[in-house]
Amino acid sequence: MSTHNNRSIIHIAIWGLVLAIFWVLLSGYFTPLLLSLGALSVVLVVALLWKMDSIDGQVPLLPLNLKFLRYDIWLLGQIFKSSIQVTKLVWSNTTTLQPVMVKLPIDHIPLKARVLYANSITLTPGTLSIDIDDEHLSVHALQNHSIMELASGDMARRASTLVKDGA
Amino acid sequence: MILDTLSAILLICGAFFSVTGAVGLFKFPDFFTRVHAASVTDSVVTLLIVAGLMLRTNFDLVTVKLFIMAVFLLLTGPTASHALAKSARHGGLLTLPESKASDEQSKERGS
Repeated sequence: MSTHNNRSIIHIAIWGLVLAIFWVLLSGYFTPLLLSLGALSVVLVVALLWKMDSIDGQVPLLPLNLKFLRYDIWLLGQIFKSSIQVTKLVWSNTTTLQPVMVKLPIDHIPLKARVLYANSITLTPGTLSIDIDDEHLSVHALQNHSIMELASGDMARRASTLVKDGA
Repeated sequence: MILDTLSAILLICGAFFSVTGAVGLFKFPDFFTRVHAASVTDSVVTLLIVAGLMLRTNFDLVTVKLFIMAVFLLLTGPTASHALAKSARHGGLLTLPESKASDEQSKERGS
């Protein structure tokens, strides 16, 4: 119980710091009035978070480490690659368009990584995650090719290692 | 000078992908495929245009604000696309292959 408390205090402290930096970056003014208003809002939000955490009981950790950054850069590469594919499809004859919809198994992916995985799929053009349940993720794609790429499990593997080591 | 050229290239690329997304939105045959076309505008165009604009600032707070803007757009874009697609799916909209199949079924039943 005490370890849980320690963890949530660290969690709250990180959020307080992040929000304070966010305020300063967005405002850019250092007058007493604006700084005190900023401090007030940070305290308000952190108090809310504290209350929510005690109801929720589940403390999500910010995965803001080097590994997450590497995943982001890899994802940006994927986004550019697949947008070029979609661009080709847009400017070519649309009769070649063969959209598919498949259910991908996700029961081997850790719970936290599923959100990341589904959002990454939607973020890359050409694939769209439509529905998710305990075992399957429905994905709609413009080409069968992109489904094959997802089914090879590269993205799923990257997303799940991220959470395993981050938590 | 180099930064200006680089920024111009990024902005032109962004504009091109933006037009592509718009053309795709009109050209593609059904709802789900159109969402794909719109998601090009969502992701790549955001990145290219914001990156192009970031290079035109004096690298101060405005740069940071542009960066934060890109992060939020990239977070909300897929969420909106997913919400649209999910509610369409739950509302009973069929994808292109599925609606073709059900058309053929109803034809067979008719004949």
